[in-house]
Amino acid sequence: MASHEVVQYRSTIRSAINVFTFVFLMVFLIWTVLPFIIMFVSSFKNLLEAFNLPEKGDWASVISVFFDFEPTAIHYRELFTERNFATYFFNSIVSSGGSALISVVLGAMAAYSLSRIDFRGKNHVFFWVISTRMAPVVAVMVPLYTIFRGLDLIGTLPGLILAYTTFNLPFAIWILKGFFDNIPYAIEEAAMVDGHTRLGAFREILPLAAPGIGAFLVLCILFSWNDFLFASIIGSGGAKTLPVATRELVTPTSIQWGKIMAAGVITSVPMTFLGLLIRKYLVTGLTMGAVKE
Amino acid sequence: MASISIKNVWKMYGEIEAVKDLNIEVANGEFLCILGPSGCGKSSTLRMLAGLEHISAGDVYYGDVRVNDLPPKDRKIAMVFENYALYPHKTIYENMANALKIQKMDKSEIDSKVRTAAELLEITPLLDRKPHELSGGQKQRTAIGRAIVREPELFLFDEPIAHLDAKLRAHMRGELKIMQRKLGTTMIYVTHDQLEALSMADRIAVMRDGVLQQLATPSEIYNRPANKWVAGFIGEPAMNFMDCEIIENNGKILLKNDAFESALTKEQSSIIKTNARGNSVTMGIRPDDISFATSAKESMVSGEVLVTELLGGDMLVEAQVSNSRITVKTKPDYSGQMGDTCQLKFDNTRWHVFAGEDGVAYF
Repeated sequence: MASHEVVQYRSTIRSAINVFTFVFLMVFLIWTVLPFIIMFVSSFKNLLEAFNLPEKGDWASVISVFFDFEPTAIHYRELFTERNFATYFFNSIVSSGGSALISVVLGAMAAYSLSRIDFRGKNHVFFWVISTRMAPVVAVMVPLYTIFRGLDLIGTLPGLILAYTTFNLPFAIWILKGFFDNIPYAIEEAAMVDGHTRLGAFREILPLAAPGIGAFLVLCILFSWNDFLFASIIGSGGAKTLPVATRELVTPTSIQWGKIMAAGVITSVPMTFLGLLIRKYLVTGLTMGAVKE
Repeated sequence: MASISIKNVWKMYGEIEAVKDLNIEVANGEFLCILGPSGCGKSSTLRMLAGLEHISAGDVYYGDVRVNDLPPKDRKIAMVFENYALYPHKTIYENMANALKIQKMDKSEIDSKVRTAAELLEITPLLDRKPHELSGGQKQRTAIGRAIVREPELFLFDEPIAHLDAKLRAHMRGELKIMQRKLGTTMIYVTHDQLEALSMADRIAVMRDGVLQQLATPSEIYNRPANKWVAGFIGEPAMNFMDCEIIENNGKILLKNDAFESALTKEQSSIIKTNARGNSVTMGIRPDDISFATSAKESMVSGEVLVTELLGGDMLVEAQVSNSRITVKTKPDYSGQMGDTCQLKFDNTRWHVFAGEDGVAYF
């Protein structure tokens, strides 16, 4: 097959564009990374050092002032000893992981059936599944709260997991259906002729949908992990998660910047690592990588 | 091993009838080809035999067991798919061992079976590779290997070599036939390539628009086609057809049209006398059975050379005879040029006559 290389010819405009691209990317990099660096560094400063700013217009001493501090882990220590962050961390992991797992398992099965089996009204079912994601979260919050209260699910981890699942599951079905659509039907037929039942054939092709499932698992986790609205309303009380706990560091009397920065680091580090870990899957997953036979 | 009976089988996709009232008996150990153009219902038939598709009406028996409601896994079949359908994430070894693993067969036994099959198909060095690292021919061997390790009662092959290049295809035709004879397993082989069917099959079932046209041995299909459609479908280059009329003159039966008038043989005349329905017929004759006459006396019809095509050992000459185009297969030393007049001689013992209304062959 011919390559689809985009040929670039050398010209003045081309070089100008290259320079511009470089500058743009540098600015973009700083713009993106700087807040994280400030957050990370500030989480190890005490309050005085954190607000030690250079004179206005004194750009030369920005770096020296910024790094002029005695590192302290006091914010982290206090978060875990006085503020129960271990529990919140646990709540965050359980609620996001649990919901992601449930969504992927049920979503894969539903997506597989929608992909493979023709039945009357299939398109309507599929549209209905997507349509549940069309209303903004805020719009369904009040009825959801009422229902959950009636079921005694407010302030519990199962309640929070269920709430996240209501939002993750349609998304899972929608995305995973695309992956199953890309897997040749003949492979399952071969599996059935090989002696599998339909369910066995489904399990046989699951590895082929692995990039999609992996990518989707992470998207689900990210959504729940970063969520504030559900967590504050449905999880408040017994199932407080990291974003909600962080919000509570802003009190009417003081804003505890050091702790907020530390909580920010605690919240973002796991997701950063997760992202790095499955970066490859995430990319092939999101481009709906076709199955190579 | 199993004999197969297909009894009054229909396949409907909504309103569309893909297979109509099909009846085929396949003997134990037989190699049957189902041949037809695309959309003739041959793949649907095979998939119904495999249990991958619901049988709309009728029955399929393996031996005396009715299998209509048996899932594929209980039919003791092995199938080779057109696009091979190998498991992309498994090695060649695992692909071939999969069915045995599902049967919970002993590991050492699996190993010996897979290696024997790999040996037979000459893919032993590839066992640790993944399907995407293989060429088309190697993938196809793997797919066949996956089928033979199971020692099934029935092989179902769905155009397995259609995607290979011509040379490899010719090679595989021989290989497949040898393999089937060696194993002695009943084989049903679907193809749209008449060369595959003619060269490999014990019997061929020719299908068109869901209807079985003829079920016979390759030589019978070629030499005694049941109707005009089969006659035109089988054979390369295709049979020539001319619309004619049957006339009787002094007790002799003659075939007549604008270009020629010629007597039938005695045998042919008696068939026409007893069976003929109406006077209008179609005469069909293969390009191999036409030759160039040296003298005007020998000649049956005259025509004008349109084009000559050299095919290595043979030459095809296309000639305009009244309002039909006639293809003649001759030797490469033929010297006629475009526009020349040529004299043709039809071998009247080898021609076919089909009824004008429905195309059914008289002989």
